[in-house]
Amino acid sequence: MTHPLKKHYKTSLTAFALLTVATAIIALSLGSVSIPLRKIMEILLSRIPLLGDHFPSHPGAHSTIILDVRLPRIVLGIIAGIALSVSGASMQGVFKNPMASPFILGVSAGGVFGTAVGIFFGVWWPLLPLLAFIFAMGTTFTVFFLGRVRGHTDITTLLLAGLAMNFFMTALTSLILFLSEPEDMLGIVAWTYGSLSGTVWNDVWITLPVALIGSVAVYAYARDLNVMQTGETSAKQLGIEVEKTKVIQLIAASLLAAVVISFTGVIGFVGLIIPHAARLLVGPDHRKLIPISALLGGSFLIVCDTIARMSGEIWVGVITGLFGAPFFIYLLIKHRGETGW
Amino acid sequence: MVMLEIDRLRAGYTRAESVLKGLDFSMDEGEFIGVVGPNGSGKSTLLRAITNVLKFWSGDMRLKEEHITTLSREQIARSIAVVPQDTYISFPYSVGEVVLMGRNPYLSRFENYDKKDKKIAKRCMKMTSTLKFKDKRINELSGGEIQRVIVARALTQNPDLLLLDEATSHLDIGHKKDIMDTVKKLNENRGLSVISVHHNLNLAARYCEKILIMDDGMDHSFGAPEKVLTRSNIKAVYGIDAEIHRHPVDGNLYVTTLDERVNEEMKEKKVHVVCGGGSSSSLFKRLIEDGYEVTAGVLNVMDSDLEKAKNFDIRCVTEAPFSPISEESFEKNLKMIKEADVIVLTDFPIGEGNIKNLEAIKQGIKDQKLILIERKNIENRDYTEEGKGTKLYDEIIEEKKRRSDIQILKRPEEVLEYI
Repeated sequence: MTHPLKKHYKTSLTAFALLTVATAIIALSLGSVSIPLRKIMEILLSRIPLLGDHFPSHPGAHSTIILDVRLPRIVLGIIAGIALSVSGASMQGVFKNPMASPFILGVSAGGVFGTAVGIFFGVWWPLLPLLAFIFAMGTTFTVFFLGRVRGHTDITTLLLAGLAMNFFMTALTSLILFLSEPEDMLGIVAWTYGSLSGTVWNDVWITLPVALIGSVAVYAYARDLNVMQTGETSAKQLGIEVEKTKVIQLIAASLLAAVVISFTGVIGFVGLIIPHAARLLVGPDHRKLIPISALLGGSFLIVCDTIARMSGEIWVGVITGLFGAPFFIYLLIKHRGETGW
Repeated sequence: MVMLEIDRLRAGYTRAESVLKGLDFSMDEGEFIGVVGPNGSGKSTLLRAITNVLKFWSGDMRLKEEHITTLSREQIARSIAVVPQDTYISFPYSVGEVVLMGRNPYLSRFENYDKKDKKIAKRCMKMTSTLKFKDKRINELSGGEIQRVIVARALTQNPDLLLLDEATSHLDIGHKKDIMDTVKKLNENRGLSVISVHHNLNLAARYCEKILIMDDGMDHSFGAPEKVLTRSNIKAVYGIDAEIHRHPVDGNLYVTTLDERVNEEMKEKKVHVVCGGGSSSSLFKRLIEDGYEVTAGVLNVMDSDLEKAKNFDIRCVTEAPFSPISEESFEKNLKMIKEADVIVLTDFPIGEGNIKNLEAIKQGIKDQKLILIERKNIENRDYTEEGKGTKLYDEIIEEKKRRSDIQILKRPEEVLEYI
């Protein structure tokens, strides 16, 4: 059965939105301290203006765990899942290749290097995300600059430039690792697998607007991305501003990935696999694919992070890989021989 | 009204080399224009320039009296649609989704396809008989079906001008005809203007009112097929000899191209072919291909050998249909025989009407080489009284055998080896 939800897009969208909320609430109750769902609902509802007066607010340890520890972490998890999935969908569209990921232009290698530099030189830790972001976008723009041929963004050149810069930044990071003290080394390595532990509300307030703007920008050019799948010349002849679309998509997608990994470290596989799963469900139309990817990515990352939390704070990137890779292989086997899935 | 006007257009892909080198062209609304020319002559480049996908360097181009450079991509896409040679679609869109893409130039950024768009798409799918695949994934279709879907998408753009860039060259004859017939119908019934780039000259001749022959980025010649598709134009542009004739059934022009293997030394030789009734087979083609100067006679008008000879511009002595060879024709034929270096006598049936052909050979033959083609014995094709024909034929052979430069061949293909 191909694209089973294609004809039921609006229903699916609502269902996935509800699934994300439900997953989030269940995730709130799980952890080292188990909190009953009813109490969670009451704590959450009591914080809503006007309506809140009707519910007990349960001041105390549980309230702090829910509101200041688990909730920001879960919200950042949703934002990260959305941002990485939308970014992946966009990259796969621009590169016309289901193997493209949000990190194809060197965002992750740049971000890791920035963090490594920060840790090595003992930069004040709240500035680490800024450093990661600067290096992530710096690497991306270098790749982007290399991929421009006579005012035209050449996809193949871009791919090769991305590959080269990824290797180069990784080599630089390895050099720093080699020179680092053992405890710094662990911090750098941990960052390459990503983690949502220690999330505070400020992380949410910084990432949220960027993720929102980036996702809207990607979605705004969804139809253009569809037409571009039939070839760049054809797209131009169908009235698409191909160069503008590519630039907007690539910058928005890199920005989405960069802002997330600056706070969480490199969470792999989400941006590669979620757009795939969404495409299998609703088909390749980016106007449907992007919103479904976003919701699927959000809930997937909360599930993975909850497992990470409950497994002694293992890095979440390990969990996404452990879950994601077998799922990916399952899809591969199921759709082997089909073209263009 | 003028649909498209192009003046001294220069364009190319690298600064160093221009592909279009000052092309002039103009077409009226509702015309069906074919563009032909050898590889690299700039046909596809012209189409890219017309849609402003390739920005031209100098010259001028006006679409319905508006300068193309002042129009946005969307404005151009509302007037001009393109069907490329082939289309690769990277993800499994449904046929309906692909066709609807044609409405893109009519939508604003956040607007979605509405009922009207879907109605137009449906109508265009009907016209191209693709409606039955509407929900199929595009990658499940055959090449011919995909191409029909792309034509449907182009029509969904509601264009005034349709550009076909060798749109049917990968398709089999049936699909070629289907697509071209659909486009022709739209041209005739709705006044859709069409520019169609063709590799196949016959397809161009069959569907197009006018043909533009391009050569080295320039307009070599432009006009009605019978004016433009001439031996000399084809020789000048493609560098090959071609045979041009009218198809006996549909009356369309047909061009057959021949290999060019001119041997300068042999070119000096004159070959005179005495034939009739289709017996010359592929002889003319082979002789011309090898660069001989060929003459033929005496042939009756309406004889299929005469038709063939005419296609190659071969000088012939002709006689009225079904009439016996006159004294005048006999003399002309004799003169050609005397002037020739080689005489080829084919195995046509001999009757009272054409026995003078044998007499001419008998009288005219001296030092010329004689080649006889005998797929059929002379006795079996002699319809003269008392075997006059056979007697004459044998005399010719006897006469020549004494000088030993005679060849009797079973197959016309062997002729070239013995000249």
